[in-house]
Amino acid sequence: MVIRDCMKRKVFSIPATATIRQAAALMTEQHIGLLPVVDRQGKPGGIVQLSDLLSLELPDFFNLLPDLDFVHDFGAAETACPSAEELDGPVTMRMGPVTFVEENCGLLRAYALMMKHNLYDLPVVSDDGVLVGLASRVDIGVAILATWATVGPSVT
Amino acid sequence: MIAQILTALIFFASLWLIFSERLNRTIVGLLGAALMVGLGKLLHFYTESQAMAAVDFNTLGLLLGMMILVAMLEPTGFFQFLAVWAGRVSGGRQVRLLVLLGTVTTLVSMFLDNVTTVVLIAPVTILICEILGITPVPYLIAEALLSNTGGAATLVGDPPNMLIASASGFTFNDFLTHTLPVVLVAWLAALLLLCYLFRRELAIRSPKAEAVMKLNPRESLDEPKTARRVLVVLCGAILLFFLEEVFSLSPAFVALSAAAVALAWVQPDINAVLRRIEWSVLVFFAALFIMVGGLEASGVLGGMVTLLERIQTIPPNIFGLVLLWFTAGLSAFLDNVPITIALVPVLQGLEAHGVNVQPLWWALAFGAGFGGNGTIIGSTANIVVASISERTRTPITSKLWNKRGLPVMLVTCTVASVLYLLLYPLFTR
Repeated sequence: MVIRDCMKRKVFSIPATATIRQAAALMTEQHIGLLPVVDRQGKPGGIVQLSDLLSLELPDFFNLLPDLDFVHDFGAAETACPSAEELDGPVTMRMGPVTFVEENCGLLRAYALMMKHNLYDLPVVSDDGVLVGLASRVDIGVAILATWATVGPSVT
Repeated sequence: MIAQILTALIFFASLWLIFSERLNRTIVGLLGAALMVGLGKLLHFYTESQAMAAVDFNTLGLLLGMMILVAMLEPTGFFQFLAVWAGRVSGGRQVRLLVLLGTVTTLVSMFLDNVTTVVLIAPVTILICEILGITPVPYLIAEALLSNTGGAATLVGDPPNMLIASASGFTFNDFLTHTLPVVLVAWLAALLLLCYLFRRELAIRSPKAEAVMKLNPRESLDEPKTARRVLVVLCGAILLFFLEEVFSLSPAFVALSAAAVALAWVQPDINAVLRRIEWSVLVFFAALFIMVGGLEASGVLGGMVTLLERIQTIPPNIFGLVLLWFTAGLSAFLDNVPITIALVPVLQGLEAHGVNVQPLWWALAFGAGFGGNGTIIGSTANIVVASISERTRTPITSKLWNKRGLPVMLVTCTVASVLYLLLYPLFTR
């Protein structure tokens, strides 16, 4: 079994010319957490994740704090919103590097790559590098688990 | 003569590489030390045993001991506790918050490493500002500036002071009687100036001032038992620093003994503690000592001393002021540690020629301590604060630092200069 057999074929992506506002709108509309950023040929050049956009609301300093148990109210930060200038900025400003695999990639290799790069979704490309699908950890993990059914019961 | 030219070449090329940041400073230091010893062996002016003798183990021991104590205190949440406490007590009032955070940072920096203090207090400061809906810029800049200023107050507050103490024989109490009063006045002037420079930002009322009252300082303390034990040992060490003359103890012995007692009492994961020690700093210091030892052995420093002796027509208090501003000017752009390490043997040489260098040591301490405030690259605390601010909505730029930090440097150096002249007889003994 390869990743082509378990990936989602309906993939939402955005062009590199899109704004942060457009990316956020697409994520909200489709209820998704990752958007591949593609060029004119449909080849992925990066990804925008939910956390990349939300860092506008909750800046990265937050990762420097060892814990937050002592904070019981986020006060003004709770209602803070990015400025119009920030939202109309290019999505490439918030884009991260993309890790993708080809359609015939083995499931275990794909799963190992996701673990290694701490990814929850993995873009899949065709032989000529065009985005053709997306597989989540659950898609791949469940497909691997399904193969266990072929193992017969142990004989005692 | 060839030895003098070549050693000077190695030293200044190393300094240039360090200051230009083309190579990591520790790598440059090690390379320079190796070249210096190699050249010394080749031209028979500097041996390996002379190089080892040039390393000031008193300074290294003091640094290591204090680093171990800080490394043990760091994960306890003590620094976080102090910042959260300041935030809560301020009640969300901006000027009060600036004064409280500034005071906490200064007090901690007087005894512990400035960079660690700033690294641990700055993220909580940003969090408090986010909760209040205000800009963290005034607070972050104030913390770095006041941490640098406070560090100049004591023997253990700043590495240049440790170097000066070791070279001059000044005790912890000498620093309390000579630098602390000047630093107190300079610190107050800096704080008032910061309140004035940031008056527009500080005048904005927080829309959610009541939210900081829900911060719980106790919950921010992750390991209260460990924090209590390390603080008890630290207080004991400070007490022994006061009494070092009575018991004939060196600061290095006190710091390393305190570290040993704290380790035995807390029994932490020793590997985790040692991983937090800044070994690169210690190696850099040792390498610089070896390089300066080479300069001394080849006679370069002797030549510089002879040159300085010719300008003895300048009144000694004015000479001190020139040294203060010269060191401050250099420290505004360059790391004050190599500057101090390079100037220490020059002052020692002058002393050997019968010059009373006591006031010059203090001028060096003030210049190295206050000069770093001038630019964003003037001290490691400034660089760290600026880099942390890049993870917020309002990054601190070099231009902004020049507008806020440079006046603070000029005012603190002016205060130090005036008090230096007024209290000159005190600094001569």
